[in-house]
Amino acid sequence: MPSFSLNINNQQYTVEAEADMPLLWVLRDLLGLTGTKYGCGVASCGACTVIMDGNAVYACQRPVGTCVNKKIITIEGLSEDGSHPVQKAWQKAGVPQCGYCQPGQMMTAAAMLGKNKKPSEETIQSEMSNNLCRCGTYHRIKEAIDIAIEEINK
Amino acid sequence: MKKVSIDRRNFIKLSSLSAGGLAIGFMLPGIRAMATPFPECEFFQPNAYLKIDKKGKVTVFVGKQESGQGVDTALPMIVAEELDVDFKDVKSEIAQYGTLKEGEHDTGGSQSVMGMYSQLRNAGAVAKAMLIAAAANVWKISASSCAADNGEVVNTITNKRIKYGELVCAAAALPVPKEVTLKSPKDFKLIGKSEKRAGLKDILTGKTKYGLDIKLDGMLYAVAERCPVLGGTLVSVDDAAAKKIPGVIKVVSYKGTGAPMHVRAGVAVIATNTWAAIKARKLLNITWDEGTKNKESTEELFKTFASKADTEPQFKVFNKGDVKKHAGKKEFTARYAEPFLAHATIEPVNFVASVKGDNCELWGGLQLPDWAVNTISKECAFKKENIKVNLAAMGGAFGRRLHFDFAIEAVKIAQQIDKPVKLLWERADDIRFQPYRPANYHLLKASTDAKDTIATWQHHVLGTPVAFMTEGPDSKSAPEMDGADEGFCYDVPNIATGYTAVDFNINRGWLRSVDICVNTFPVESFIDEIAAQLKKDPLQFRLSMLENRPNFKTGDKPDAMEQSPARIAGVLKMVADKIGWTDKRKPNHFIGLATHSFIFAKSYAAHAIEIELLAPKKFRITRVVAAIDCGLVINPDGLLNQMQGGLAFALTQALKGEITVTDSRVVEDGYFSYELLRFDEMPPVEIYVIDSKEEPGGVGEVGLPTVAPALCNALAAAGYRPRTLPIRNEGFSWV
Repeated sequence: MPSFSLNINNQQYTVEAEADMPLLWVLRDLLGLTGTKYGCGVASCGACTVIMDGNAVYACQRPVGTCVNKKIITIEGLSEDGSHPVQKAWQKAGVPQCGYCQPGQMMTAAAMLGKNKKPSEETIQSEMSNNLCRCGTYHRIKEAIDIAIEEINK
Repeated sequence: MKKVSIDRRNFIKLSSLSAGGLAIGFMLPGIRAMATPFPECEFFQPNAYLKIDKKGKVTVFVGKQESGQGVDTALPMIVAEELDVDFKDVKSEIAQYGTLKEGEHDTGGSQSVMGMYSQLRNAGAVAKAMLIAAAANVWKISASSCAADNGEVVNTITNKRIKYGELVCAAAALPVPKEVTLKSPKDFKLIGKSEKRAGLKDILTGKTKYGLDIKLDGMLYAVAERCPVLGGTLVSVDDAAAKKIPGVIKVVSYKGTGAPMHVRAGVAVIATNTWAAIKARKLLNITWDEGTKNKESTEELFKTFASKADTEPQFKVFNKGDVKKHAGKKEFTARYAEPFLAHATIEPVNFVASVKGDNCELWGGLQLPDWAVNTISKECAFKKENIKVNLAAMGGAFGRRLHFDFAIEAVKIAQQIDKPVKLLWERADDIRFQPYRPANYHLLKASTDAKDTIATWQHHVLGTPVAFMTEGPDSKSAPEMDGADEGFCYDVPNIATGYTAVDFNINRGWLRSVDICVNTFPVESFIDEIAAQLKKDPLQFRLSMLENRPNFKTGDKPDAMEQSPARIAGVLKMVADKIGWTDKRKPNHFIGLATHSFIFAKSYAAHAIEIELLAPKKFRITRVVAAIDCGLVINPDGLLNQMQGGLAFALTQALKGEITVTDSRVVEDGYFSYELLRFDEMPPVEIYVIDSKEEPGGVGEVGLPTVAPALCNALAAAGYRPRTLPIRNEGFSWV
């Protein structure tokens, strides 16, 4: 079985996996990083969103063979203690209901704000529409993003 | 404590049938005392619901299963209120299966707060009384000279204080009082103030372990291919290619089951990781015997509904007066239809099972664990006492996890391998093999008298009943007419309602807001249609049939629910007022409204929705105003969350949610074909809560039923009356 060296949350991991195994299952089944969620496996829900070299990507669509030499951040590495501005904003707005999709939501938001501290309404709408929430927490996600934008622009 | 009527909700009946007793989960009397005192006294646990440690930290054990509805916060708040502790010192934990009485874990029907309110107040008050008694002993004064305050007992004579934590061992040695005095609601400090969700930080840092996140030593991973037609059987499987995938350990098959869970015959791939199982599954070459019911379609089903709608209903449901004798001169008729729907939780159903000899251990999320254990005991031949259940957080439920077909499958698979197995339903499985919200069709007829008031009302509901689940195709307890039966809220003298069940070969189940949602859409649409044809104001037309009607019982049985037309009118007037019903509207802006009672959760909600018509049948939702009257509110923030989220859930159904069937196979297979509302489609919402002193009602479902009719009534005001959901099928589009 091939072996891959991955940089995840600023740590180096070596995993043995088939090259086509999506990063999602490497994270969850092989490394025990279960904060990244399975929702659909086909790039339709965003539950598995991680940040790769600064971009929000669907971990279910990234074969591990393509993830070498990339800097990967998962929800476990967004901050050590939940202190990332996005996490703090999510806390303040009381976003989660079941919470299952929220790691993916926060990774999408963090990647967006990482690239642009003052995203336009259109950008927020289009970026956040990549992530589904069945509980319907969209109002609060918007509220949290507004809080985070204010915080990082202080 | 008032007894909660249980016959309104079939699932409670069903679970109690199989549990061999009455469902007690929502009305357990009294408190069970744990053995006290504890040797070593590490903590004080006067009952199954809470313990207090020597630092004064309180753990509340929550028996109701958390799936986003916030019971892990609201229920501890109730305990903490009576206990008089700082909520910061209170932690919420899952009451593990086996620590509570049978039925007490049952979670559904918006019943958790309603059902546990008195009991949890009692639990907190008992603990407080014992702490006070312990302090009174220390001070050698009467307990009546002591008071509780924010985690301390106060000597009201000397003003000395002792912290709860210092009293726990002394309290643990005392007898549990049989009767305690509860606070007067006017003295509530915590109830009614917003608290953030328990475990919020774990959710936000990815630490919360949902069922799918469970990992056990040596655990293997499985996915399964299922017979595409319900009731079909496995003929043969060629697994040679699948077994060549690295990581695949074994391929096993299992038989389907009949009622109550209608597990399909399946072939599972077991592997060392999920991906290997998914890849190998695609290489299985399976021959199924689909049986004879393999040519059914929703297209034909709706034709059958339409053709039977004009015949006598199979079941007469509610009759009052005489609709033939008193028919008025003006007649009104309309037909409405709603499709099958899937729950589509973002965490798809999944389950972990481990079988060792005669013992079976389970891990995962279940809304009705007792029924699951009883059924697994029968289906898989384990003694009930040999089944251990470990409950986990759920990534959404909405009724999906009232069903436990996936748990039975996991056990059937685990019986064929000597290691724990986690079964994942891939997204396509989740959408294609659901217990679906029934498809339904409505024929409504009414007539009005010379004064333009409604003289007769007839409602014939046709559907594929949920009762299929337990009773199969010829169910005898089919009528699913909540919202349109004895509880019909409008004051009409002559009423005839009935239900006709139509057989259809896919499984059905309970979806959030159940048949109240199903029936509120046609009722609130038809009322509006009549008002429009009579050229009456739809608000005043409704109020004229609500405001003067006293509360009434919805049956002769002692536990019949009470309906309050005044509260139904109250929320309606609130939304009308807040949206500016009588104001002049901007050009191309139209409003619709709808109201209802979510009767078995003792809560009431109305919506007013404003749309802007952009082009024929193309619109934007510009305002949504909601009002809710749910009695005493425990956690206002939790209530708002449910109302906000309920809007997204209900709009999904109104706009685009639909499951279709061809050749007895569900066509949709994921979120691309079964679309959910997305972030950019979420309209703004304003939520108003009626100040009420009534006992708390449930809020998880009440926010849904009036969304679709309010939207459709707005579209009708704009000139387009939708009568079929989702409205996309009638050519509507939105931005």
